[in-house]
Amino acid sequence: MRNRRALDSLAGDIRDHLERETADNIERGMSPAEARAAALRKFGNVPRVMEETRAVWHGLWLDQLLQDLRYGLRYLRRNPRFAAVVVLTMALGIGVNTAVFSVVNTVLLKPLDYPDAARLVWIGAYDPNLRRDFVNKDDFFEWRRQARSFSSIAAFGYQPAVLTTPAGPHQATAVYVAGDFWRITGARPAIGELFREDTRDSIVLTWDFFQREFAGDRRVVGRTVDLNARHARIAGVLPRGFRFQFPMWWAADHPEPVEAYLTDPRPGEGIAGTTQVVAALRPGATVAQAGQEMQALERHLIAERGGHPRGMADLQVVPLQAELTAGSRGALLLLSGAGIFVLLIAVVNVANLLLARSTLRRREVAIRAAMGAGRSRAIRQWLAESVLQSLAGGVAGLLLAYWAIQALIRISPNAVPRLSETAIDGRVLAFTFGVSVLAGILFGAAPALTLRRANLHDALKNGARSSAGPIGLRLRRLLVAAELSLSIVLLTGAGLMLKSFALMTAHAPGFDPAKVIVMNVRFHGPPYIVPESAHENPAQRAYLHELLRRTYTVPGVQSAGVSCWILVDGFLPFPADPTPGPTHVFRLNAVSPGYFQALGMTLREGRWLADGESHAALLNETMARLAFGSADPVGRQISLPRPVTIAGVVADGRYSRLDAAPPPEVFIPLEDAIDLYGFAIAARTRTRAAALVPVLEKQIAAIDPSQPVFDAGTLEAALAQSIAPRRFNLFLLAVFAAAALLLAVVGIYGVASYSVAERTREIGVRMALGARRGQVASMVIREIIPIAAAAIAAGLAATWPLARFLGTLLYGVSPQDPATLVAVALFLAAVTVLACLVPAIKAATIDPTAALHYD
Amino acid sequence: MSTKEPSVELLQGTLDLLILRTLLFGPLHGHAIAKAIERNSEDVLQVEQGSLYPALHRLLKRGWIAAREGASENNRRANFYRLTPQGRKQLHLETTKWEKISRAITRILNPEAGRP
Repeated sequence: MRNRRALDSLAGDIRDHLERETADNIERGMSPAEARAAALRKFGNVPRVMEETRAVWHGLWLDQLLQDLRYGLRYLRRNPRFAAVVVLTMALGIGVNTAVFSVVNTVLLKPLDYPDAARLVWIGAYDPNLRRDFVNKDDFFEWRRQARSFSSIAAFGYQPAVLTTPAGPHQATAVYVAGDFWRITGARPAIGELFREDTRDSIVLTWDFFQREFAGDRRVVGRTVDLNARHARIAGVLPRGFRFQFPMWWAADHPEPVEAYLTDPRPGEGIAGTTQVVAALRPGATVAQAGQEMQALERHLIAERGGHPRGMADLQVVPLQAELTAGSRGALLLLSGAGIFVLLIAVVNVANLLLARSTLRRREVAIRAAMGAGRSRAIRQWLAESVLQSLAGGVAGLLLAYWAIQALIRISPNAVPRLSETAIDGRVLAFTFGVSVLAGILFGAAPALTLRRANLHDALKNGARSSAGPIGLRLRRLLVAAELSLSIVLLTGAGLMLKSFALMTAHAPGFDPAKVIVMNVRFHGPPYIVPESAHENPAQRAYLHELLRRTYTVPGVQSAGVSCWILVDGFLPFPADPTPGPTHVFRLNAVSPGYFQALGMTLREGRWLADGESHAALLNETMARLAFGSADPVGRQISLPRPVTIAGVVADGRYSRLDAAPPPEVFIPLEDAIDLYGFAIAARTRTRAAALVPVLEKQIAAIDPSQPVFDAGTLEAALAQSIAPRRFNLFLLAVFAAAALLLAVVGIYGVASYSVAERTREIGVRMALGARRGQVASMVIREIIPIAAAAIAAGLAATWPLARFLGTLLYGVSPQDPATLVAVALFLAAVTVLACLVPAIKAATIDPTAALHYD
Repeated sequence: MSTKEPSVELLQGTLDLLILRTLLFGPLHGHAIAKAIERNSEDVLQVEQGSLYPALHRLLKRGWIAAREGASENNRRANFYRLTPQGRKQLHLETTKWEKISRAITRILNPEAGRP
């Protein structure tokens, strides 16, 4: 634009214009000084004319924005302490939200890595006893043959594996896969190949496992190794970026990522009841259609096998990502809400600070207005300043969030599926930027608005000291009340979750998980595993015998036992069922006599199993209720499938998951179990068990070095792992609540101090007239009390409906638990009074003579 | 000190037209334009002379006028503004439009000519 060059000579143009006008005026008979003044008057505000003219080319907002930002920076540089407080407060508020959003972004928003991820569905039937979905494996193969809604369908199942190479045994968390698993995941091998569907006894390793256990030695690929009880070939290695993004029910017990993929196990080798099914919808097919087809198909299959549902009666088809995040969606949305509360409190707090500040700056604005800057311009500049501070807070918040995410992933990688993938990406950056700007405008608006109403003329006349007036103070009190109300909501949420946590981790008397060591052994290789064995295996018995003997030689061990979880799905009709036909799923454990004592179980009815007893069983209370209703089960028989007599009933205990009712369980003597694949050891110690874990682990590993021991630790640690997601939620909500409380306290303190400073002269007068120091101090506190009371009442009223959203995050506590609400209200009231204490003392120590001279 | 917003807004388009109209008779520098407008429509242009400059630059930006730096009589350097062919066309177009919109404004714009 050639014409734009005229802008460069604008100042010259105006000078020329003014000189001509002055000359004209002199011609009319004015004195030179008069003439010049008249010309200027007629012309108007020169800087503003130049600015508006420049704005024709630049756009007003950009030009002024840059200038506003420049002024803003200058102001902040001159008031570094104040700026630091604002930036830190905003860093807290924005950081919290950035951290939560980056998790939400990864878990809920980012599509899965797989091709056509939006078309992937999850097919399963929820089993109320196992408390997870599972699929009858035979049915999967039927679906594969008959279902029309899917372009591909695959099954996988959890299967811990031990790979034995000449270098020794390697443990892996593995899944077996069947059907179109590689097609659905779009996997390509990095080295070697992926096994085909008809391949047997083959392994594909993940990149990490390959690097860790085999040091990236490519010669391993193609080699035959011992996998559990059989020979298997390492077919290939997956690329580094390949992720297993399916629901992992086992993650609560085995938090490691999936490390190896196996071919479909031979009959009897895999863990029963672990089969999970995923499928890709055929183009044009909907989830609802697929659901209808599958339900019809399954009804047909059940009828074909004589009406045995095998747990598959209530088959569901749901989008895979929804299924994957089902357990964490509610919690994440709740945390997002809590994050917004923290941000609001931070914004309110900063607005409050700025309000106090704006009183001091009124004179500055008045002077600038006198120089020709419009009031709206001053408001804009304050907003620019606020946004600048908020952005600085955003940058600090980003660092805070980055650090927090790293910490969260380290503390509980499996609390939320895909949590470990969380990263700060473009979307998160855009979110943080947007939130920062919005927050800056929000907290900048309050002081800017008071400026709009203020009489700037008075500000100039009054000199340095001027008061925000009743409007400013009222607004500040209102803001503090809002802060308190918001923090009540957060504190109540955290309080309710804390109480849930306490209830969850409270154990029955006699049960002390800190004094119990647990570990697992999985038999593999001959002589322990002999294919198709129908008889008791002497090697297994000898091993177990030696194991129990050695366990008792460890000093400190009081009692010990083993439990073999033989079956998860005994499908049995129970005597209590009114109509014949339904079958139930329960856990069948073969246990050694010391096992009950080791875990500290208590007997409710009947007697313990005797040493060497056979064809007898103990039930837990849940199982007794399920199978016999209110009838006394002792002495009755159930078929497993051979009949066993019930010797007694043990109390339900939370031995595996803290936040769920125990599953129905049946315990039979170890001798009655024919073939064992692996077992869990439980040893009770006299003192805290943690120190004995390595000792015991070493002893057991030494029995036969080819049989590795895994998952060794205290029961306490294992139980803690089982509620990792809850700990995660509690931890975050508690941090949010603490942040909210801190900000609210600062807010109250600020308002009280400011009020004291404003009224120094008044307080001086009161004291001169005989007010005692105690009276003055209580006056300061009394002033805050109605604000706090109203805020607490409003906060509790808001909590009442909001607490519903805590729903399933609570355990054993009502969302409107009165004790928690009262405790939180009292706590906040106490904190409020404490926050006023310093200003109150300050007021009480005012020197009346000094105060009366105070300007 | 500050001008009332509504009247400035009302004047903006009018001022542009007045400038174009003034330049119809040849290139002028800023002060001369202001004087000419003042003479022609004393009661309309109650605004400060300074507001001439944003208006001039708006017209420059649209290409309706052009500026050339030149020495004026007393050896000062200032921009001379002249109408471009495009500006001439625009003046005609706008004038017609304004006349259509309001007789009152037409009268102010063109006091002696009256009707088209």
